[in-house]
This record gives sequence, structure tokens and C-alpha cells, in this order.
Amino acid sequence: LRAGAAAAAARRGAAGLALAALGRGASLAARSAGAIALGAGVFTFAGALALGAGSAWAAQLEPGKGLVKPPRQDFVAPPAGSYTLPVIQQAADGWVFDGNWRPRRLSTYTHGALTLLSFIYTYCTDPIGCPLAYRTFVDLRERVLADPLLRGRVRFVSLSFDPSHDTPQAMRDYGGQFASSNELPWAFLTTYSVRFLKPIVEGFGQDVDIELDAQGRPTRTLTHMLKLFLIDERGQVREIYSVAFLHLDAMLNDLRTLALESPPPSLARRAPP
Amino acid sequence: MKQASFHLAAVVFSAVAWTGFALPEARADETCNSPYTSRLIKGQEHYLHVWTLGVKGVGDGADKLVTIDSDPASKTYGKVVHSVSVGGRGEAHHMGFTDDRKHLWAGRLDDNKIFVFDVGTNPARPKLIRTIADFASKSGFVGPHTFYALPGRMLIQGLSNTKDHGGVTGMALYNNQGQFIQKYDMPKGVAAIGGGDGYGYDIGINPQKNAMLTSSFAGWTNYMMDLGTLVKDANAMKNFGATMAMWDLKAMKPTQVFDVPGAPLEIRWSLKEGDNWAITATALTSKLWLVKQDAAGAWQAKDVATIGDPAKIPLPVDISITADGKGLWVNTFMDGKTRYFDLSDPQAPKQTYEKVTGKQVNMVSQSWDGKRVYITSSLLANWDKKGADDEQFLRAFRWDGKELTPAFEVDFYKLKLGRAHHMKFSAKASATALLDTGPLKLAAASR
Repeated sequence: LRAGAAAAAARRGAAGLALAALGRGASLAARSAGAIALGAGVFTFAGALALGAGSAWAAQLEPGKGLVKPPRQDFVAPPAGSYTLPVIQQAADGWVFDGNWRPRRLSTYTHGALTLLSFIYTYCTDPIGCPLAYRTFVDLRERVLADPLLRGRVRFVSLSFDPSHDTPQAMRDYGGQFASSNELPWAFLTTYSVRFLKPIVEGFGQDVDIELDAQGRPTRTLTHMLKLFLIDERGQVREIYSVAFLHLDAMLNDLRTLALESPPPSLARRAPP
Repeated sequence: MKQASFHLAAVVFSAVAWTGFALPEARADETCNSPYTSRLIKGQEHYLHVWTLGVKGVGDGADKLVTIDSDPASKTYGKVVHSVSVGGRGEAHHMGFTDDRKHLWAGRLDDNKIFVFDVGTNPARPKLIRTIADFASKSGFVGPHTFYALPGRMLIQGLSNTKDHGGVTGMALYNNQGQFIQKYDMPKGVAAIGGGDGYGYDIGINPQKNAMLTSSFAGWTNYMMDLGTLVKDANAMKNFGATMAMWDLKAMKPTQVFDVPGAPLEIRWSLKEGDNWAITATALTSKLWLVKQDAAGAWQAKDVATIGDPAKIPLPVDISITADGKGLWVNTFMDGKTRYFDLSDPQAPKQTYEKVTGKQVNMVSQSWDGKRVYITSSLLANWDKKGADDEQFLRAFRWDGKELTPAFEVDFYKLKLGRAHHMKFSAKASATALLDTGPLKLAAASR
């Protein structure tokens, strides 16, 4: 999956000037508005979501609507608990920053709750890349909060591919209202540098490459295959969803299948803020 | 059902007193690369990786991964640019990319070893990075055949088992790090879903339908036997698969078994948006079978076309479906023909073209745009033809919709490589760099 269309556009002149103006210090609204003004489908997804009601762009990006389409699901998901999800691997660990620049072990975000984790970067605009991950989380969030079996047992984690651009502040901005919501913990994390990020990425088996320009020079466009990792309360990866498998009904039943394996722990006690 | 169907096959086989003829096998082309997880090459493929059986006295005699330059703009177009031997001969057979297309898993049907090559770092020079030797001990299965990528893991279809080396088998699931996760038995005698013979061969997945389809072939005893001996062994000829199974992919449980006599082999789902069908070819009965949902949504299997003259045992061994689901290449081993079927109506495929492309042909793979077609020659070491008919090659053709025109050929015997079997495509890595070689590293260095 090719990601980073915004960065590519940014290198192409006027659009680049506009995008370049969206610096780290710019307000979220300004960044979003500026990105949308670029046209040609370039927008800051999370920022657009945060624009709120009344915005045509925001309306298109609301859960269940919009430009980012989840894959078609032409089946009835098997009932929760009627199947098992084998342990695929142990979730990787390493040092990360939370939104307040506090260093934490990633394992504190992959244990003690049913966790969905995805690697993203904030300026990724590929409709089947990071924005789709975001959209999937948003859609699932509503369903989890409405499910008595799952409410209070589920956590989301978005971890940046790009520690140089995606500072803790940038990640907090990217998360918007969800970063501070207590209803369903959603951690927007980054790392100090690639040296800290790389073992985590490799440990999860998440591919990521840097696209080169015509002269073979690295750009800031990252190519990666979108994956969402479902992690049980013991930090074990139990399912991995790529784009073709982002079926919300099946994902919800996977969460419920794991929830049925053990009595509900106290997420409030064990989950990080 | 299985035994009945093979009674007929055995008679025909016996009637054809062939010294080096063979049974099914095959698979490989861009449209069969677990398209739901891989980054498919929809432009020009730059390299062909050919999993090659070592031949005693030919070169180093070992199984090897041979890489051929397939980029017409390259100075080494049509030439072997790299070869990596893995040591020994273990019946090299099929390969499959991991979900991210970074690694290529290649199996051997005799000693059950699985070799993992790094093809992402530099596809021009694949590097062996891991050998998995616990397939049989962990799963109880023998003959790792199909390697089908799922997110973060590899589903491997076995052909046989460690207990009796017959055809009852199953699938083994590994993570991308090469660790065994779980095994799944093929359905056998499960009356509630239509029975099942327990045999396995290929895997085809349709995530949109949560559907996994499997086919069936034969066990180690048969595929390692000299073909001339096999076709004269009436009991052995009864031991071929005659079923396909539909699975609930999420639950990894079989839900329905179809009677498909004559060893159904490669499975290809139509990749066209909205299509709800897959197609396969039966080796011994020379038929195309369609597995499709009916109006009520129930899956049905149906014989929809005949390939050549079944009485002459053309032996279809590989198929390659076009990206739009409108056409199908079929290779038939015995007569060395490459056939094209119009699949505009999948319920009634029509052959529109055929050409003799070799004295023995096995695998057929086409580019995503359908303009290039590649063919290899080897089926199984003990089933390939003998003497002058034992050509070993990779032949590349251009396809203009009317005629296959030779583009280049690599003679695997002349180059002392061995028997050319399964092939996969890759593209140059020059468009990307690893995470720690780009600006992120530079940015990090300043911290």
C-alpha cells in the first residue's frame, strides 16, 4: 500500500508550499483547512474529522460515510466464541512516548486489555492506508462502547512510523478528542528516534520503506502495508488485519471471542492513561 | 467417489504407456499471489524467480532458486542473473510470497524442508535467510505444497502425512518469523458437510466472502513414485483426490465438501469486483470446474468445460486466470500445449487458442496486464519425460490477444541448472529504501 501522497504532492510546487506551511506549530484547524485547500484529494484525515459538524469534508469522513471505504463484507461473521484465534506471536516491546512526552514501555499498552494496534503517520493520506486505520478505529469505537461485553475492556493504540515529524504533540493533535477521551482508551504514541522505533516495527513484522525520488534520494513518503494487530490481555497477537480483512462485524466478534476467554479484568486499574 | 473416479483414470493411464509422463502440478502467476494481502506487480515484472530441482550430474546437482532478468529495458534481459543453491535434492516444488512480499517461501515435497528467501532487499539477488525443518514433526503432514499468505503468517497446504505417506493430510499455519502456530486437518468422512477424502493440494481465499477453497491431489507414495510404475499400479491409481472443500476462513472450519473427480488442482478466484466464483482444472479427467454461489448464496461445484480430448490424457497441470476474470490459460503436460479459454461466461468456458509450447509444459504464469506469458517445464522429478523429451526451460512469450510470440528462452539443462518448476515475479527495489537509510535516520541522528 502506497502511503504519503501528501508528502509527494508537497514536493510538487504550489501544493508543497501550502503543505509546508502546515508546520508543527500550526493549529490543528489551520493544518486541516490548509491541507484540504490543496485539492487533488490531499487532506489531513484526523484534522478533518476534528473540524466537526457542518464541514462537508468532515461529513464525508464521519463513521459509516465518506471517502475512506472499508472492504466489502459479503458474509455473516461467525458468532463470537464459536471459533478460536491462535496465538500468532508475542507483541513487540520497546520505549515509546505518550502524548505528554513521558517515556513508557509499549508493553504497558499491550497488556491488561484487548488491544488493537496500528502503525500510522500523521501526514499519510492514502485512502487505504493510515486514514482507513483511523476510520476503522472510529467505527469500532462506537460498536465497542455499545457492547456490554466489551465496554471497558478494549484499548486502541496508534503508533507513529515517523518519530522525526510525529512528535508527541503532533500525535496528540492527530488523535484530537479521542486522545483525551476516557470512554475508550486510545493511545497516540511515538518514539524518540528510528533507533527506538525499528525493533518495535520489526518485532511486529510490520513492513515499511522509504520511497526514493527519481535520483534515488529518499523522500518522506513511507510505503507500508496497513495492518491492525489484535492483542489479547497477555500481550499476544491473536489476529492481524490487512485491508482486505477489515470487516467490522468479524473484528467485533474477534474482540468478543477474546473477551469470552477470560473474566473481565479491571481495565481502569491496569490500563495506562 | 474418489476411488471410482480413479478407476477410469487408471485405465486411461495404463493405455498410455508413457515413460516420462506426469500428473498434475503447478501454480504461479501474478493473479494467484494471495492478491488480498500482497502488493501485486501491475506493471513490468523485472525478475522471475524459478524454484529449480537439482539433477544429479547437472551443475552442482542441488535444488536452487534461479533469478532471471525479465525487464526488456535491461542489458541482461532474458538472462540468468543469480542463482542460490540450498543444498541437496528434496523435490523442490512450489513457492509463495509473504503478505508484504518481502520474503519468498519455497518448499520441498520429499524432505519437507522450507527455505525462506529475502527477495525484498534486493530482488536481483535473493538471499537464503532461514530454513524451516519442523514442518513434518510439528504438523504430522508431509509435502509442503501451497504457500498462501495471510496477514503476518503463512498457510501451508500439505500433500501427505508422516504415518502412511498416503494422501490424507492438512494445512499448517506458521507466522512470518517461521514459527509453527497450528495445524488443520482436511475434512475426511464428515457426513454433515458431504464427506471428504482428507486429501489436499491448493488453497484459494476470498476474504470478501470469508471463503477458503481447497483441492486435492495425492500423497508422497504416489508423487515420489516413478510415473511409469505408478500408472501400472491399480491400487496406487485409486489414491488420488476427488474432492474440493469450502471453509469458513475466520473459523478455519470446513463447511462443505464437493465431489470433483480426477484430482482438482490449482484454484483461482476471479479477481473481478463482485464476482463470486473460482475455477479449477482436474488433472486426470481433463475438466474445468466452477465453484460458484447460486441465487440463494449456496456454493455449488459444476463441470463447465472439457480440456482437449480426455481420452488422450492431455493432463492439465496449471492454470492462470486474467486479472479481469475473462480468460484462463491452461497448460497440459502430455501434449505440451498452452491453451486459452474465454471465461466471459464462466458457466461455459470456450477454448479460443492453443499452441504447442514445449515437449513437456507445466507451470504457466501471466503478467497482470496479460501481455506476457511465462512457461516452465518440470512437473516432478520422477514424472518428467525421459530422453529427448525431457526439455527443461523457462520460455517467455508475448500475447497480443491472438498469438503467443516467443520473447526469450532460458535452457536450464544447457546452463546446468536443473529442472525448472515454479516461478514468481518481483520488481526492482530501487524505488524504496529501508527505514534506517532515509531522512528519518538523518533526523534521528540529530537527536
